[in-house]
Amino acid sequence: MNNMRNVEPLVTANTAKMTARKVQVYYGTTHAIKDVDVDILDKTVTAFIGPSGCGKSTFLRCLNRMNDTIAVCKVTGELKLEAEDIYDPRVDPVQLRAKVGMVFQKPNPFPKSIYDNVAYGPKIHGLTRNKAELDAIVEGCLKKAALWNEVKDRLDAPGTGLSGGQQQRLCIARAIATNPEVLLMDEPCSALDPIATAQVEELIDELRSQFSVVIVTHSMQQAARVSQKTAFFHLGNLVEYGETAQIFTNPKDPRTESYISGRIG
Amino acid sequence: MTDIPADGMAARAGSILVPSGLMKRRNAAEQRFRLYGVASIAVSLAVLAIMLITIFTDGLSSFRQSAITFPVLLTADALDPDGNRDRAEMTDVTTIGYGKVIDASFDALLAVEGITVEGLSEKDARGILSKEAAGQLRARVLADPSIVGTTIDMTLWTNARIDGYFKGRVTMETAERDGNVSPEQLQLADLLRDRGILSQPFNWAFLTGSDASDQRPEAAGLGISIVGSIYMMIIVALLCVPIGVAASIYLEEFAPKNRWTDLIEVNISNLAAVPSIVYGILGLAVFINFAGLPQSSSLVGALVLTLMTLPTIIIATRAAIRAVPPSIRDAALGVGASKMQTVFDHVLPLAMPGILTGAILGLATALGETAPLLLIGMVAFVDNFPAASVGGILDPATALPVQVYGWAQRADPAFIERSSGAIIVLLFFLVIMNAVAIVLRRRFERRW
Repeated sequence: MNNMRNVEPLVTANTAKMTARKVQVYYGTTHAIKDVDVDILDKTVTAFIGPSGCGKSTFLRCLNRMNDTIAVCKVTGELKLEAEDIYDPRVDPVQLRAKVGMVFQKPNPFPKSIYDNVAYGPKIHGLTRNKAELDAIVEGCLKKAALWNEVKDRLDAPGTGLSGGQQQRLCIARAIATNPEVLLMDEPCSALDPIATAQVEELIDELRSQFSVVIVTHSMQQAARVSQKTAFFHLGNLVEYGETAQIFTNPKDPRTESYISGRIG
Repeated sequence: MTDIPADGMAARAGSILVPSGLMKRRNAAEQRFRLYGVASIAVSLAVLAIMLITIFTDGLSSFRQSAITFPVLLTADALDPDGNRDRAEMTDVTTIGYGKVIDASFDALLAVEGITVEGLSEKDARGILSKEAAGQLRARVLADPSIVGTTIDMTLWTNARIDGYFKGRVTMETAERDGNVSPEQLQLADLLRDRGILSQPFNWAFLTGSDASDQRPEAAGLGISIVGSIYMMIIVALLCVPIGVAASIYLEEFAPKNRWTDLIEVNISNLAAVPSIVYGILGLAVFINFAGLPQSSSLVGALVLTLMTLPTIIIATRAAIRAVPPSIRDAALGVGASKMQTVFDHVLPLAMPGILTGAILGLATALGETAPLLLIGMVAFVDNFPAASVGGILDPATALPVQVYGWAQRADPAFIERSSGAIIVLLFFLVIMNAVAIVLRRRFERRW
């Protein structure tokens, strides 16, 4: 299953969905992200790898302005979603997050029914006119998240009653229900067992046909399996960014090589 | 392995079969700690039991009141001199007029039953009836003037000493020395009781009647204080819960974290520790002297209790909101919910059980609060019920704990019984409120 992905042709000619130029992030006086330039391509899985504390999650959270909730966090530089600056004062982060969805490290379904978990986003963004449309969205998203067959008979059951892997897929279904353009995933498999991880990875690969996916991961194998582009972060710097195959087989920077060969990190 | 004897009780150094000296001390410390815990719980339960037993033994009897049931001839000449059964004109007849009617009927009762007690004059015999009896009869007749001219069976209270005799407060020996009651009167009461004329029915008037003067404890009821307490609780709940929850949500979720909000936070914590009587002084100065609201009214009492309860509710609500896991907020923000939607759709439902518990505990404290109400005049003797409309909150009223305090101060021992009875009613309301808290908590608590 995974071999197949490795021999896939590398994605080319994709336009940049999001672009970052000279992005700096400060937590108070700590300079957490330094001069990051990166292009997130459309319909591509981009993996952020790096040792703990290297800033990859911080940078990910800049992409949908989740860092706004942290009072001491300050972001400078240029971050654009399709040529529009997402840190422009006119941008409402709430509206941005409907376009740039997020899946978190720990599965965090709402303490509501499975149906309501998925329906919440479309409801608050007014994406549906009636119950039938909402039902269709819920069904579609649960199918895309490969969860439909497991939960279709118990949509009224609490989302928190599912297993960890199912919960994470429910969170993915919830994130794609608002029809985002970019899907950010912050270590989505770190709380899951290998079987659930494989399911989620398979799902990520399928989501690529519709969304631009950015995934932060601690597992280099996972990055190699699911991504086409990989960015290696170290101590707040973006050390190397390129085709996944190239990063893992022929890294240009000695730090990248040390990390993927297990000498640092 | 070979050094361990077959019985397994080796004295080998470091053996896990033998507790080390340190281990023994640690276990002993734990045992001691458990013992302290059990002892303190046992002591508290014992004190609680003693308190409840005292209150119930003293107070339960107030729910029964000795009364004499006998036919009363409502002579038309005395009660309706004009003969047209007009209620307005009949109010001219005072309780003195009714007293005479009762006296005549009571004398007739004793004559018919053939009851005589040696050395007891007719006047003294009538004395076993309550001073309130004439008032009881007058209220009955004015409620239905058409009964004038007929003979009706009336149940009229005995006076508090006779009542006390059947409840064990008064004995033949104490009656000898008591100017208010004589042993002969007690003998008469015994005779009436033997014939089933004197009985001790459930005392509804204790729950529905108004307070009575020092001279007639048998007529004193809790009605006005219950109404006052209910009015106040409704107002306090309507004011406290929305204001407290809104303030908590703002402070916890929206307010910037700066020196001002720190200052507010410290002040809220301090306000929760301010003695309640200080709120009474504040209420007197602000609501009565400055705003000119009527004193003794439920509204002023409720406003004072609201001020007193708000800090408690805010602290409990903030704790409940803070206990909601941040991952839920992330999840909501992550799908593009606004701050407000995050709070109202996700945080608040999860915090609800904690908020409700805090709110109802705050209300329960307010229900039992006495000191601030004394200062705003709710300790006054109130004889008329507050109106059963919204305007009623401006009418003078008392509150249950204040009534307890008031009765406990009075000289007649019958009021001690009444006071304990009032405590039972107060405890009943507190138990109801706590039960509501538990039910609501269960209902809002999500087990998922």
